[in-house]
This record gives sequence, C-alpha cells and structure tokens, in this order.
Amino acid sequence: MTKTVLNGRLAFAAVMLVGLILPAVFERHMVDLLVYAGLYTIAGLGVGLLLGQCGIVNLAQALFYGIGAYASAYSTVTLGWSPWSGILLGIAISVAVALVIGFPLLRLHGFFLALATLAAGTIGTIFFFEWDWLTGGTLGIGGLPPLSVLGFEFNSPARFYYLVWAVVIILLVLSSNLVSGRPGLAMRALRDSAPAAEVMAVNIHAIRTKIFALSAGLGALAGSLFAHYSTYVSVESFTVQRSIVFLLIPVIAGARSIWGTVAGALFVTFVPELLSGFGDAHQMLFGIMLVLVVTLMPDGLAGIPARVARRFAR
Amino acid sequence: MNTVMTHAPVKSQPLMALRGVAHQFGGLVVLRDVSFTVSRGRIAGLIGPNGSGKTTLFNIASGFLRPANGQIFIDGRDITAASVQERSRQGLIRTFQTPKVFQHMSVRENIEMGLYATTGAGFLASMLATPGARGERARIRRDAQEVGERFGLGSHLNTRAGDLPAGQQRIVELARAYMTKPRVLLLDEPSSGLSSDEVELLRNWVRTLSNEGITVLLVSHDMGLMSVCDTVHALYFGKIIASGSMAAIQADPMVREAYLGG
Amino acid sequence: MNSTLIIQSLMAGLTNSFVYALIGIGIAVIYRGTRIINAMQGDFAVIGGMLTVFGLVSAGLPYVWACALGIAAGAASGLLIDVVCVRPMIRRQADDEAFLLLTIGLAFTISAAVLYIGGREAHLLPGIGGNGTVEIAGAFMSVHAIFLIAISLLVVCGLWLFYRKTIAGLSMIAASVDPDGATSIGINVARMRGYTFVLGGAIGALAGILVTPLISVSYQMGLGLTLKGFAAAILGGLTNPLGAVLGGLVIGLSESLAVVGLSSGYKDVVALTIMLLMMVLMPNGLLGKAGRRGG
Repeated sequence: MTKTVLNGRLAFAAVMLVGLILPAVFERHMVDLLVYAGLYTIAGLGVGLLLGQCGIVNLAQALFYGIGAYASAYSTVTLGWSPWSGILLGIAISVAVALVIGFPLLRLHGFFLALATLAAGTIGTIFFFEWDWLTGGTLGIGGLPPLSVLGFEFNSPARFYYLVWAVVIILLVLSSNLVSGRPGLAMRALRDSAPAAEVMAVNIHAIRTKIFALSAGLGALAGSLFAHYSTYVSVESFTVQRSIVFLLIPVIAGARSIWGTVAGALFVTFVPELLSGFGDAHQMLFGIMLVLVVTLMPDGLAGIPARVARRFAR
Repeated sequence: MNTVMTHAPVKSQPLMALRGVAHQFGGLVVLRDVSFTVSRGRIAGLIGPNGSGKTTLFNIASGFLRPANGQIFIDGRDITAASVQERSRQGLIRTFQTPKVFQHMSVRENIEMGLYATTGAGFLASMLATPGARGERARIRRDAQEVGERFGLGSHLNTRAGDLPAGQQRIVELARAYMTKPRVLLLDEPSSGLSSDEVELLRNWVRTLSNEGITVLLVSHDMGLMSVCDTVHALYFGKIIASGSMAAIQADPMVREAYLGG
Repeated sequence: MNSTLIIQSLMAGLTNSFVYALIGIGIAVIYRGTRIINAMQGDFAVIGGMLTVFGLVSAGLPYVWACALGIAAGAASGLLIDVVCVRPMIRRQADDEAFLLLTIGLAFTISAAVLYIGGREAHLLPGIGGNGTVEIAGAFMSVHAIFLIAISLLVVCGLWLFYRKTIAGLSMIAASVDPDGATSIGINVARMRGYTFVLGGAIGALAGILVTPLISVSYQMGLGLTLKGFAAAILGGLTNPLGAVLGGLVIGLSESLAVVGLSSGYKDVVALTIMLLMMVLMPNGLLGKAGRRGG
C-alpha cells in the first residue's frame, strides 16, 4: 500500500520534472501543440466530468469555449478591460447560459439529451456567426493583449505553456477531490442507478445541472485562455466539430479517469499531427482510430493497464 | 441522523399508515380502498398472487407512483405528495426486487451513500478538500466500514459491487439502506434469487432490524420468509381480503381460495 | 413582401420538409429496430448522393443504375456498420452512450473519407423528370420536387405495409421490442438488426439522391441533415414514419417562414428551437404515443 503510494508519488514527480524541462528541449511548434493540449485538457475535463461521472454526452462544449473566447476578446479589445476580468466575465456568462439551457434540457436522458446538446451547440455557432457586431463574424477579432501577472507577460509559447499547465494541474486536483468527495459519490451513484440514488436522497436534477454549469465554466476558461494565447478568435474555432473533438478527449482517455484527460488531450492534439504525414487522409485515419477505440476499448486508454494485467494474470 | 432527530415512540400512534389508497391504470382498477397501519418496530407483510396489486401498492408507499386516491402517513405526517428524496429524508427507504446496487462503485462506496442525506459537503467544499469536508469523508468511511463488517461484507469492501453474486448484492443493498438509519424499511421481494441459507440469513437480519426499532414492510412470495412478520395482509384483486399472523392467513378460507383458484 | 414570395418560400419549405422527413424516417427505422439513435443518418445521405454522382458522371451509368448504385452503397454501409461495430458492442453489452459515440465517430469518419476521396467540391445531379418547373398559384416548383414528395410518400406507405403486413417487418420489430421472446420463437435477432441497418442505410441514401439535385451534396452536410431529420423524427414521436412526415412538415414550413420573416441565417435556429421545445414540452411527439423517455 505505502509502496504503491510512494511509487505513484515518484512517478508523479518524474512527470512533473519532465514537464518542466520540455519547453527548453522542444522546438517551438511542439511547445505550441503542448499548449493546445493543455487548453483542450481544461475543456475536455468539463465534458469528461459529465460523461464519466454522470453519463451525459455533451456536444455543446464549443459553445461555452466560444463564449469564453468572445467574452475575453470583446471585453479586452473593444471595451479595454483587463484580461482577467474578461476571463471572469466569460465564465459567468457561460455558467448562466448553462443554467438556463441545462435546467430544462437536463430532464432528458441518453440519446435525447445528447442530441439536444448538439442542437444547442449548433444554435450557438449560428449566433457566433450572425452576431458579427459582437464576434466579428468570419473576420473574427484580433489583437488581444497577452495575459500578464505582476508585469510578467505570457507572450511566448514557452511562457504560456507554464501558465496553462499550472492551471491544468490545479483543476485536475480540484476535480479529483470533487469526484472522490461526497458530490462525486452521488454523481456516480445516479449514473449507475437513478432510482436507487433517489432513494438515497440524491437530487438528481440539481446535481446534473450543477455539473453541467461547472463543465460550461471550464469550457469558458479554456476558451478565454485560448483567445489570449492565439490573440485572434473567429467562428471557425467554435464549431460542432470542435465540440466533437472535446467529447472525444474523455472517450479516448477512458471517461471515468480524471488524470486520463491529459492523455486524451495529448492524443487529439498530437495524433492528427503525426498522421498529417499521410496528407489528406489524416482526418479519415483519425476518425477510424476513434471508431476503433469506441468499438474495441470501452475504457479508453485508461483501460489498457487493466487489460494487460488481465492478460498476464491468465 | 443524530439522536436529537429520533422521535420518541408514541404508543397509540402507528408509525406508518395507509388510508383508503386506490389506484388504476387506464380503466383497470389495481387497488381499491387499501388501508392498514404498521406500529413502530413491527414487521408487516404483503402477500398476494401475481396481479393482486402488491407492486403497485409498494411503489405508491415508496413514492415512485402517486395514488389516484388515499393518503400515506409517516409518524402522523402526510407524505402522499412527497417525492422519493423527501421520503428518504423522512426515513422511508426502499429496496428493489432486482437489487439496484451502484455497480461501478465499491461495496464500501455503496454503503457510504447511505449517509448522503445526513451529510453536507457540497461542490466547493469537496473540490477544495476543506478540513470540514475531509473530516466528514473520513467519518463516512469509518461508519461504512463498521456497517459493512456488521453485515459480513468486511472482506468485500473494496470489491466492485457489480462483481458480487446476486445474493451478496442484496446484502449490500440492505447494508446501504441500514446505513441511512431508516425509520421505515420497505423490502421488495428481498428473497428472490437467494439460496435457502441466504434466506435464513435475511430472515434473521429483518428480525434484528425490527428489534432495533426499524419498522419493516415486506413484500414477498416466500412463505418461509414471511413468517417473520408480525402481521400479514393478503391482497387479492386490489383489496385486502385478510389480515393477521402468517399462520392465521394461511388458514384463512378466502386466502386459500384466492391462491388455489376457487 | 408579397404573397407570391411567401407561397414561393412555402413551396421550398414543403420540399425541404420531405427531405427532413426521409432522414427522420431512416432514424426512426433504426431506432425502432435497434433502440439506437443513429447520429450518422445524414451521412448515409452523403454516401448515397456521392455514389450516384460517381456512377452517373465518372462511371457513365444510366441515371436509374446510378441511383441504384447509390442506394446499394447506403445499404451496404449500413450492413458494414452493423457487422463491424455494432455487433461486437452488443456482445459486450455496451451502454447507450457508447452507441451514440460510435455513430458520432462514424459521422466524423465518413465526412473525412468523403473529403479525402471526393474532395471539397459540392456535386449536383440532374433532377428526376428533368430540370423543368411547374407553376402553382403564381409560384414555381421544380418537377423534381414533385417527384421527391411523391417518392417520399411511397416510402412511407411502403414502410407502413412492411411493418404491418410482412413477416420480415414484424420480426424486425419483435427482435427489438423483446429480443429474448423473439429468439424463443425462432427469430434471428442479430440478422434482424442487420436488416434494420440495411433498410436505414438505403432510406438514408435515397434521401441523399433526392436532395442532391436541389442543394447539391458535399462532404460536410451530414451532421446538419441528421439534426433536421432527428428534429422531424422527434416531433413525430420517433417510431412512426407517418409522424416523421408530420414533423418534417412542421420543421420545413416554419423554416421557410423564418426565412421570409427573419433572415435566412436564423432558419436553423428556428428549426432547432422548435425541436428543443418539443423534446422538453411534448416528449412523446405531436401524435403523442410510444415511450421515448425509457432507458
């Protein structure tokens, strides 16, 4: 018991150390991809909490990602606010929108809820496109200021890398706490058997709505950080395809695993990059890999150790 | 639930009462004017052939179905309109005919859920792992461990509940229900799928729980198990046709006719 | 704004209605036979449309044979998906989310594959019965649109008869409603599921062939069609082909009115908002039967 804890801590420390020196040894393009992996971890974490803990398929995460990005872009570029208040504004709007659409929609279940979120996400994309006075439409909004803390500007991929991954680690710790705590128990209980959870006095609708709002807040945070990193936002970044990619992060990772989200995010950023050697076929190959994961690996990448163990145990 | 909330037994007042409960599905009347009471710490049983309305009555009592007519009282309080969760907070807990354990959770976590209603750590406190939330969690774990051991699940606490055989899952469900410190326990066909040894164990558990002051309403086909009841009500086509001890019920000519198809 | 404009818009809406209805019918067929919501139904349409274009333009087949090729391709993709993906997942008793993720993944893959093989361009087909138009109440409607509506109605009637009168149709429903019972009376449940996917794929492909002369076919249109078709199916109560037509009409006509009254950019917003409101307020569809909440 203590030995595995010690091994776990050592492994964690080793990963942290490697993480710290990566920007120094990797070329700029790789660091850039790692930043995106961090951003996607944050957005995917929200989707993963819904999928893995509550069994909810959310296809609207790009909507909240977009709300965060546009809130940051509009409030800093047009209104001249400080970036941090823009981030808070994005989170606040996202959570409010999530509560308004989640309250009625979360009475639906399974396929129906999933397609309802897909519809909501699609409607969101249309508004991003049509409200060009706010979003700049297809032209987008450029010239966002970099984030800064006490005069230190996160204006290069390497600098932003440390910021985004620090945020990722904090959020992963908070999410692990949540999942292993009392609300996490209730979430998993209602996923396994809603009637039995009700008998244990779990307010199913309230918990699902709260998690949906939390997920939306994470999406908005990721979107705001993305906007300040790329300094330019446009409709193309917030389509339903992006929502699907966010959903695939926990699917690939194994939806129940919080820390696995990192693996899922690395997968969706680096695998298409690796496959780009195949030219135009890379998207199709990526799709086939996804279908294979869903068909053959119900627990995603996180299920591999258990599978290997089972094979050797035989 | 702490001791302050435990109500002192009032001798004259029944803990659970059903008054004039009636229900129909479409035009089909499944319950007509069913009334009975259960005193605190007593075990009441419901028997009846298939289609007699047992399951409907049970679902009405546990809040999964609203009756077309009639009322249900717990400790003198009308809970007819209360949701399943509200009933749970009032101390009314049910089990299911096919045991509904939380399959992907460990046995320990299943039992821990029993304390959900009476603990308080919310989203923020749990995320930040505040000392309060951590202390509460530790206490929940300790209590679950204790209850698990008491129900003979000590060696399975870290097993995934879905991996246990059906009989053990029933025990997990019972331990989880016990963990809530219920005032009324509704057991729906708890012996189906159990071996005769396991039924005997279950019978002893029901007896023990009632000795601890828990009121039990039992629905079962299993006459061996039903003999644990203080009072048995026989349902036939939505009406109570006989009430009394199991022996008296078995001797009742109307019940015999209903069962043997007169 | 004059009345001719409104009538013209309604006519376009009427035609769209039947496209949505056909996609919705495909979704309903697959849901009825497998209890799976197929999020790639619109991509069956892309496959059907694209292969018909290929048959007609690249392979030089006659129109009818090109259409047959398109429909066969849809049916074959349905079968392939059942055998390769759905079967192993049913064997390991995968949950609802897994099937949804599967069909979303397939939609993504097919769209990418069509992009890779067929390129970015949109492709048109000549209309059935030529590219002529007829005048109705001062507005114009293409001959093809009339064929589209007639063929859709034929499909609805055919399905109604199929599910009610034929052994195969009855067996397919029995296999999904009560798999164990169906097995016990000698129905091969796995084979029935295969037939269901073949039928769903063929209907989807037919929808694609019929829509291509109107709005052309391109790699990224699948998901949008799926959503509209799902909206139609939901309004119709999901298992009822006739209901899907009714749902399609509601969606298609309100869209066309939105184009006249608001701006064309918001027509999808109107359609999808109607769908969301229906799901929340009338969960059993306009015709109000068949449990949709279960499971």
